[in-house]
Amino acid sequence: MNHPPKLQVNNLTVNFGNLMAVNNVSLEVYPGEIAGLIGPNGAGKTTTFNAITGLIIPSSGKVFFNGHDITGMLPHKICRLGMSRTFQVIKAFAHMTVEETVRVGAYNRCNEKNVYKKVDQIIKLCDLADLRDKLCSDLGLAILRRVELARALATEPEMLLLDETGAGLNQTELLSFMDLLRKINMEYSITLLVVEHVMQMVMGVCSRIVVLDSGEVIATGNPESISTNPKVIEAYLGKRVPQCY
Amino acid sequence: MLDMTVQSIITGLMMGVIYALITLGISIVFGVLNVVNFAHGDFVMFSMYLSYMIGTALVWDAVQTPLITIPVLFIFGFIVYYLIIDRTLRQMYVVQLAVTVGLQIFMRSMALIIWKAQPRALQYSIIQGNIQIGPYTILTSRLVAAIISLIFIAGIAWFLNKSWAGSAMRAASDDLDMASLVGVNYRRTYALTFAIGSALTAVAGGLLMSFQQTDPVGGIRFGFLSWCVLALAGLGSIPGLIISGMIVGVAETVTITFFDPRSRLLVIYGIFILVLWFKPRGLFGRK
Ligand SMILES: Nc1ncnc2c1ncn2[C@@H]1O[C@H](COP(=O)(O)OP(=O)(O)OP(=O)(O)O)[C@@H](O)[C@H]1O
Ligand SMILES: [Mg+2]
Repeated sequence: MNHPPKLQVNNLTVNFGNLMAVNNVSLEVYPGEIAGLIGPNGAGKTTTFNAITGLIIPSSGKVFFNGHDITGMLPHKICRLGMSRTFQVIKAFAHMTVEETVRVGAYNRCNEKNVYKKVDQIIKLCDLADLRDKLCSDLGLAILRRVELARALATEPEMLLLDETGAGLNQTELLSFMDLLRKINMEYSITLLVVEHVMQMVMGVCSRIVVLDSGEVIATGNPESISTNPKVIEAYLGKRVPQCY
Repeated sequence: MLDMTVQSIITGLMMGVIYALITLGISIVFGVLNVVNFAHGDFVMFSMYLSYMIGTALVWDAVQTPLITIPVLFIFGFIVYYLIIDRTLRQMYVVQLAVTVGLQIFMRSMALIIWKAQPRALQYSIIQGNIQIGPYTILTSRLVAAIISLIFIAGIAWFLNKSWAGSAMRAASDDLDMASLVGVNYRRTYALTFAIGSALTAVAGGLLMSFQQTDPVGGIRFGFLSWCVLALAGLGSIPGLIISGMIVGVAETVTITFFDPRSRLLVIYGIFILVLWFKPRGLFGRK
């Protein structure tokens, strides 16, 4: 790649007491790509995301975004710089409507005057128009996944970290979600780093994959090389077979 | 007898709206910061004294004094937030309890030092007189106070639903981490919430001074009232808050009318306990 990386993680380590949840992880994500981060349960994927987005302060290592050192920066500042994320577990604003939820994100770049224009645009993009006045607590999982993506998109990020956005979706929902991801990547040139257990999704949308196991990077490469890599197969067989549809 | 009952209910309903306004302050702070401000009633007491001082010095009517006390209490709220609340957020619950109870004692002692123990009251309000409907009397000062309270409650409801800062407050209340990740500055949001909660006591204080006196221990009553109304209302429903305020207001005036005025705190405490027993999330609380 001739571009400098959008996201660069250098020797990231996170300890929880004696547990090395993330151990000396280095990875790069380049502008415009969809990169995947996979690994068996407990490999440290979510913890890596938490350390990148400022939710937890890493024990050591550095995180650079667009060349800026963002290690240990507060999440809202990182968001202001252009990086947002979604969660593996649904973190909806339960007492807010879909529109209000998206609006919270939209205020990251908009003021009261132009915020509704942004909200309308995102709601249309994520196909949520019929549900805009519904309370999040009344919505089902598949729709909440889209609401969470919409809320993150509303912040106008340059890069998004998506944590298991495919989990719990059925085949049709998954396919439409994959289309949406490709669309935001192509049309809005948002760089994506996705954590995923659903192999169909990883193989289908990612151009490059980083594999974590027990907190360490065990492989990096394109989908084909990853799916035939003996270390990766062993890591998965030793724990849990990747979910294939 | 019936007349007296109806009369006390009318008065209680109007008082109830002011109680709802007072409770709105403690409610948004609890909802957003998850901190119970035990000094909230003393903020009301303090606001009443400020209104008294301003009303006396400028020869203003009590209902005008919030023009000055609102900004003062807003800034006071900011300072209190950054000086003590901010530092206790990630601490144990007892630490938060200790600092706000400490603040309560501090404010009460300051009031005693500055204004001595004697109660203070302002001249009769310009909005005197009363409206007579059949055998019932509605004191204009109370009616005006209730209407102004409603206007402020509606204003806050609008602010929470429609404004940038209000959205941030509600988002932070639902999920702080997620709110931060989509750009909400939690400290600023918390400070603003606390300052607004504090500023609301300035409105209530001015309104109360148009027909009541204030004394340094008056904060206990307002604190108590607001916990009781909050327990009844639960979090998140503004109409529920107003109805709960009215229930407490009516219970109070009925007690004053038919029993001993001194037992009114007991009745309020009784309601509080009953709610905790039977409806721990309040009558109108969200899930
Ligand atoms: N806050 C925490 N305190 C202590 N241990 C934690 C904490 N968060 C995660 N861990 C541990 O760190 C390890 C990595 O967890 P993490 O959630 O990052 O894994 P993951 O790769 O996201 O797994 P999954 O596929 O199940 O989501 C696990 O062993 C987990 O139990
Ligand atoms: Mg995870």
